[in-house]
Amino acid sequence: MIQLYHVHKRYPNGSEALVDVTLRVREGEFVFLTGPSGAGKSTLLRLLLVMERATDGQILIGGRNIHVLRDSSIPFLRRNIGIVFQDFRLVPRRNVFDNVAIALEILGLPRREIERRVNQLLEGLRLLHRATALPGDLSGGEQQRVAIARALVNEPAILLADEPTGNLDPELAAEIMGLLTDINRHGTTVVVATHDIHLIERYGLRTLALHRGRLADDRPRQPRPVVDLPSARVSQPVALASSPLSSQAVVDPSPDGPVAVAADDFDEGGDA
Amino acid sequence: MKRGPHLRYVLRQAWLLVGASPWLTAVSALTIALALTLVGLFAMVQFNASRLLRELGQSLTVQVYLKDGTPPPVAAQVEQRVRGRDGVRAVRALSREQDRARNRKLLDPELLQGLDEAAIPGQPVLEVEIEAELASRGDVEALVAWTKTLHGVESVEDVAFGAEKLRLLFAGVEIARTIGFVLSIVLLASAMFFVFSTIRLSVFSRRDEIDILGLVGATPTFIRIPFLVEGVLQGLCGAVLATLLLGGLHLELRGLVRDVYMLNVPWSLLPPGMVVWLFVGGPAVGLVASGLSVGRYLRT
Repeated sequence: MIQLYHVHKRYPNGSEALVDVTLRVREGEFVFLTGPSGAGKSTLLRLLLVMERATDGQILIGGRNIHVLRDSSIPFLRRNIGIVFQDFRLVPRRNVFDNVAIALEILGLPRREIERRVNQLLEGLRLLHRATALPGDLSGGEQQRVAIARALVNEPAILLADEPTGNLDPELAAEIMGLLTDINRHGTTVVVATHDIHLIERYGLRTLALHRGRLADDRPRQPRPVVDLPSARVSQPVALASSPLSSQAVVDPSPDGPVAVAADDFDEGGDA
Repeated sequence: MKRGPHLRYVLRQAWLLVGASPWLTAVSALTIALALTLVGLFAMVQFNASRLLRELGQSLTVQVYLKDGTPPPVAAQVEQRVRGRDGVRAVRALSREQDRARNRKLLDPELLQGLDEAAIPGQPVLEVEIEAELASRGDVEALVAWTKTLHGVESVEDVAFGAEKLRLLFAGVEIARTIGFVLSIVLLASAMFFVFSTIRLSVFSRRDEIDILGLVGATPTFIRIPFLVEGVLQGLCGAVLATLLLGGLHLELRGLVRDVYMLNVPWSLLPPGMVVWLFVGGPAVGLVASGLSVGRYLRT
């Protein structure tokens, strides 16, 4: 579903956010992306959303090379990727219903269909009774659930979450994680960037560790530990990797290597 | 199948944008209205002046005075030459007696009492009527040049061309037109700049929303449309205000011209064509200004 081949991201000031990252996330997988602050987690998510372009290397999503994606095709790629942020990024002037409906309005769906799908999702997330509330009147957990609803309402193939539990207390964090794993069980590929080591250990899912822009470790899915620790944020680099900081040594290499698909033809069947 | 944003969505978003800063929108619409009103005034003054000049042009005549004693064949030659000029509608040859009789009618009867007949001016003359269509500035210039060539004809004593004053009028209207045009550009550019700034503020106040829309897959067009509609709505409000202003001004001035100056000339500050132009121009100003504003933001 997601493939990165020797991806580099260098900024004009010379700092390297990502160095030679090669990895693969399969369809339907749940992957934690971890590492200390500045490790490159958010940069990687930004590259997947084409909020930034890689300096070098290739990124394939669903077999399509987004490194060569035309600017005009970016919106159509993003319709296949849901995104959830730590700070929720809800529109403060729009109520819960309208915040979720944004993702369907851009598709130009009939109003009745939008209402049906949004209400169904809000009901599933126990938010229907808050449909007319403004984000400022919601708790942190509710706001994050609204953000997840917005990311999911158009049924994307991939859900990216950048520190989705970062602003939540342990109880709410567990609730959000439960929601994300449930979404994953329904077939959506989920990538969660977090530096909450306890959260990662608790779920024992595949974990990609970044350190100073390099892929430091790729720990496969573990038997789920029955550890019910409250999540705690750590500021130290996550010590998952015992191997040297070589991305090449630990990645899931693709036998067929990078596919130079000039695939910038994401479905442009939406609005103008 | 390509589907664009629903009209209902666009109008709702545009309405929310307008409602978010109603005072700014009102001032913006007022700026457009003032600009359109002044441009409309210039246009209408221009329009009415041109119409007046056209009407003056319909009574345009050139008097070609021939020397006393000009033999009839020579007079006929001059008449032939005058008739050959493009735009000459009719030529009437008057003898000295006929000219004297005509002048007599123009004089006060009291003055004529005891006046010797020979003292009344009279001279053989060709009265030349000019086509009304020639009464545009360039043609008047050509007519003046033509009358000057007639001065050179041996049997012609003088040429009186009343359009000399008309030429001055044309020049005056031309200058007014140029000034009006420049001022119109300045006014419309100012209004555009104001709308540009208003929409820009609107865009900046919603940049979080714009970013989110972009992240969930909205195209730049989808993001831009509500702002463009906001600009159009401002322009539309401006057009309505300008129409009311011009209408009010027309009623006031019409009363003034009719009752104070006792003039019964047909004129209008707000003909139907003008209303159409206001309702096209206002939204166009809003659209262009908001397009520039939003385009600039979304490019950066």
